Amino acid sequence: MATKKENLKEVVELLRRMWLIRAFEEKVSALYAERQIVGLLHLGIGQEAVAVGALSLLHDDDYVYGGHRSHGHAIAKGADINKLMAEIAGRATGYCGGKGGSMHIVAKECGFITATGVVGGTIPLALGAAFASKERKKGQVAAVFFGDGAGQAGPFHESLNIASLWRLPVIFICENNGYAEFTPLSAHTKIERLAQHAKTYGIPASTLDGNDLFAVRNAMTKAVANCRAGKGPVFVECLTHRMRGHYEGDPAKYRELSQLAEWKKKDPIARVARMLRSKQAITDKELKAMESKARTLVEKAAKFSLSSPWPADGSLTSQVYKTT
Amino acid sequence: MFVIRHFEESLVPLHDKGVFSGHYHLYIGQEATGVPALSCLRADDYLFTTHRNHGHLLARGAEPKRLFAEILGRVDGLNGGKGGSFHSVAPSLGFLHSSGVVAGIIPLSTGTAYAAKVQKNGRITVCLFGDGSLEEGAAPEAFNLASLLKLPVLFLCENNGKYGSGRAVAAAQSSSMAAYPLTDLPKAYKVPAQQIDGIDAGLVHATILEAVEKIRRGEGPQFVEAQTVRYPGSATNWPTVPAPTDTALAWDVTSVPEKAREWYRSADPLLVYIRELVEAKQASRDEIAAIEGQVKTAISAAAEFAVNSPFPKLEEAETGFFA
Amino acid sequence: MTADERVHLINGTFLSLSPHRHVFQDLQKKFGDRMIAPPISELGFCGLATGAAMAGLRPIVDLSTGSFIYEAWPQVANEAANAFSMSGGQTRVPVVFHLFHGLRGGGAAQHSGSPQAMLWNVPGLEIALPSSPRDVKGLFKTAVASDNPTIFVDHIRLLDIRGEVPESDKPIPFGVADIKRAGGDVTLIATSYTVQVCLGAAQKLAKEGIEVEVVDPRTLVPFDLATILSSVEKTHRVVIADETHQSCGVAAEIAARIAETGFDKLKTRIRRVSTLDVPVPYSPPLEAHIGPTESRIMEAVRAALI
Repeated sequence: MATKKENLKEVVELLRRMWLIRAFEEKVSALYAERQIVGLLHLGIGQEAVAVGALSLLHDDDYVYGGHRSHGHAIAKGADINKLMAEIAGRATGYCGGKGGSMHIVAKECGFITATGVVGGTIPLALGAAFASKERKKGQVAAVFFGDGAGQAGPFHESLNIASLWRLPVIFICENNGYAEFTPLSAHTKIERLAQHAKTYGIPASTLDGNDLFAVRNAMTKAVANCRAGKGPVFVECLTHRMRGHYEGDPAKYRELSQLAEWKKKDPIARVARMLRSKQAITDKELKAMESKARTLVEKAAKFSLSSPWPADGSLTSQVYKTT
Repeated sequence: MFVIRHFEESLVPLHDKGVFSGHYHLYIGQEATGVPALSCLRADDYLFTTHRNHGHLLARGAEPKRLFAEILGRVDGLNGGKGGSFHSVAPSLGFLHSSGVVAGIIPLSTGTAYAAKVQKNGRITVCLFGDGSLEEGAAPEAFNLASLLKLPVLFLCENNGKYGSGRAVAAAQSSSMAAYPLTDLPKAYKVPAQQIDGIDAGLVHATILEAVEKIRRGEGPQFVEAQTVRYPGSATNWPTVPAPTDTALAWDVTSVPEKAREWYRSADPLLVYIRELVEAKQASRDEIAAIEGQVKTAISAAAEFAVNSPFPKLEEAETGFFA
Repeated sequence: MTADERVHLINGTFLSLSPHRHVFQDLQKKFGDRMIAPPISELGFCGLATGAAMAGLRPIVDLSTGSFIYEAWPQVANEAANAFSMSGGQTRVPVVFHLFHGLRGGGAAQHSGSPQAMLWNVPGLEIALPSSPRDVKGLFKTAVASDNPTIFVDHIRLLDIRGEVPESDKPIPFGVADIKRAGGDVTLIATSYTVQVCLGAAQKLAKEGIEVEVVDPRTLVPFDLATILSSVEKTHRVVIADETHQSCGVAAEIAARIAETGFDKLKTRIRRVSTLDVPVPYSPPLEAHIGPTESRIMEAVRAALI
């Protein structure tokens, strides 16, 4: 449900961003099928409301950390989709010069610090950024995204404990899509809601519908205010679903088709579109144009990426260590 | 309890005289937890313990002379001198491994519990560790696994941090663990957990007996936090003995230095138990003093044995690391 | 699993991303009560496996991607490796840690690790490093039967190699190297998947009139230096090709051992062809460039003959 405070013009902009992510992911998926992109690719189709909802409330100088499914997070934080796609395609023009790939995005200029291929690997790192921010006293916050699979990892607990003890300005954003790789959460733990773990360490926590853009924004608004005021960390658990498999190439046979159908009905983009239409803030024509524009931008990014050169051999040994 | 107390106390002069080196950790002040708890177990149950293992081994029946020898690094030690204080084992008593890494044994205990479950031999595993272990990620990982797989393991956490030295007393009971009470941590993974007074030997016994029975019935893991007050002799970097234990202290602590006096008066579990026995007329002061005398003699002899035990041959350093 | 009921499997994604992983679904049907799929808690479940081994089971843990052993390092290196020695020989730890190491094509820095060099520096661990289907089968049997903690270092690219595998269940003993190809000109020592690369290189070099002898140690611990030295006695020239990074890598240790004990047999310096000392880059051409490639191996062999 939208709050009265939502400015409809702003919502249109948010929807535009969600469409950009959706179009981007779908294009990357197509390129992967054509073998223009290789390696491991994890898409966030269906989880756009979390990325856009959460990150629309942060500033450029706030820190964001992601996981292996973070293209959407980077885009929502303001990453340049040309450099992003080039990185996923391993080209020299990518954010990391082709060295990182899909799981290791770094878009520092807009505050997307890093992603990781290790489950929960960036959670302790976010603590570090929050710690530095606390020392600097400029009110910056750190936000870290991870999935329900990270809830069983030791470092997750260690981080909750330390963040709570030292009142670090970090927002833990858990995208609980019910699956850790190929198995449901219930095979990993008896706990259904990771917010419970946050409460154990005295961290205020909430669980919400992650496919509801406005619910995400509401929770995030409170979380950001809490952190900037120096009151310590906050945990936001967003229930959502990834419409694809764990990675591209995973037929996801472990998932019931009926479950997929259920979640399709809750498509985050469709919900925002419906809301805007109902408030007469947008027409069908404009919606179609929005989608079309997103796809055009993404096509351009694809062309740019695929026509970019591969990294030169010399770049191999550069940037391993910093030398003056 | 006397055995543990006098064993531990005699380590201090041995260390200070240079008979052995390296860090060591005393179980003084926790005897009323270890002794009754371990008495509830079967002979073939598994136990894991940490760097603070002397009390556990002795409570379970390890020979003091062999434990002394191990701490001194001698060939007659429980591990042939290869482990030292941190790593003493006694497989015949169920102690397969002791780790000096905080929380190192917690995941291991889920392993022996798993083995016992699949082999259907009714053995349970007791994992003995301190409050600090709960700060390690390994602990919640193990609670989750134990809960998920319904493993027959008793997590016995000896929290000696109550008003302990070096830790801030705040709303949370620890400056290094945000969760409070500590039992919230295993409960987070649906492991039944309870807090008890670890100084009350009778309560410890009853609690552990019940927990062990539940585990043997196949109900899955249990967690018990036994709280004690940290021994003033371990407040410093190296252990000290503020006042040598004597039955008489149970009624008169004037001989104890002022700083440590309160602990001996009200928080020393051994002295508490002595008073209980006398009040319940289960033993007289003299009888208890006599038992103590015998124990002291035996401990002296055990220490003597260890001091006279030779060091292992140098070649031993290069062998015995593969089966 | 049929032979010994103490064998348990820990981790449900054996063969991880391989299209062959359905094979384990069949195993699940037969031995389901001896297979558990734990949560993403490498530290936790490697500790569980170690503890279970201490209690008499013979668990096999699959860590899948080799880099994930870093999450479990304290349990592997500080507990499992030390237990037998620290206990004065009383506590055995018959656990097998299986993992896929190395460059896989697009794995990038965190999924392409080869931890065997670091693990070789932890006394108390046995390390097996098969290079062919036959070796995988034979070495694996020995690993499971061993009473010591064993790291079974597999390679995902081996899953695509077809080779002869004997019907019999004869195990391949640890500490016995294998001459994969006989030759008199250069001793080319290689491990794991790189052995296959070397065999390809050897065929090409043969056309240039160079006959290399490809020697595969098969296990790092225990290590068969004798077979290597006999080969060096014959050829006097050594090239070592291995996928761990150059610094303190597997090739470094092998080179040191040969130099120490067989120096007088050498007519030229020992040459190593290792993965470069850089975090593994994602971009495919970069990744293809940093490993012990066929061209770098051939170049090193030719240089050894100058």
